[in-house]
Amino acid sequence: MKSRVFTDLATPVSVKPHDADSKPMADEVEQQPSTNTVEEPLDLIRLSLDERIYVKMRNDRELRGRLHAYDQHLNMILGDVEETVTTVEIDEETYEELYKSTKRNIPMLFVRGDGVVLVAPPLRVG
Amino acid sequence: MESEGTESPLSGLVPVAEVFNSIRERTIAENSMVVLLQGLQGEVTTVDLRNESTARGRVVNVDAFMNIRLEDVLYRDRRGKLTRLQDLFITGRNVRYVHIPDHMDIMKTIQSQLAKIHRVRNFASHGGGRKEYSKKK
Repeated sequence: MKSRVFTDLATPVSVKPHDADSKPMADEVEQQPSTNTVEEPLDLIRLSLDERIYVKMRNDRELRGRLHAYDQHLNMILGDVEETVTTVEIDEETYEELYKSTKRNIPMLFVRGDGVVLVAPPLRVG
Repeated sequence: MESEGTESPLSGLVPVAEVFNSIRERTIAENSMVVLLQGLQGEVTTVDLRNESTARGRVVNVDAFMNIRLEDVLYRDRRGKLTRLQDLFITGRNVRYVHIPDHMDIMKTIQSQLAKIHRVRNFASHGGGRKEYSKKK
């Protein structure tokens, strides 16, 4: 499996010396032998670089932010991110489930990949 | 401990080991985003842990497995209780988020970290290495 770091930030970077001949693209740089075809699921995430995405995480957390970089572990750098934590409270008497969500905003966040469940384009609430 | 830390922004501090102890660690770090966290050394950041607590302090060292050592830490547990700690070691598995300071140039940091790794890697082969045997067949 190819290991690499994907980032949309504009300056060319070479991860390994033999990658020096890969061409930087307009506003996206790939640090591996350049291929535009979608070969594996991670390539689909590459299409979302510099786009806003929705990330579902473990422990009932969701993130919405701009994807700046990611790697094969799904460690991600997200910018302008809003984190939503959802909790369920059960009313003792009526046994009613009350869903509460707490939000907070963080300008630039590094997310460790093992907490990520799924990555998707932002949900449009219809 | 030897230091490559001439690029460290806080050069008045005690130099910390910025080299890896093994090729394995170096390779793991080079191929993942941990290099960005390693570039955070010397910065004050907040680390959100998996157990819902947070630790805010100066990053001393981050290794390839995302183990983080912080100093001069304000640790807030899940109940909100604050504790001041001189030194805190967080296992990589327990990290949920790392807040990146606003002023950081991410690309430059990653580039300089990778440059350091390549410098060390090429150090041994500079000058052709050992000459006991000829490499050219």
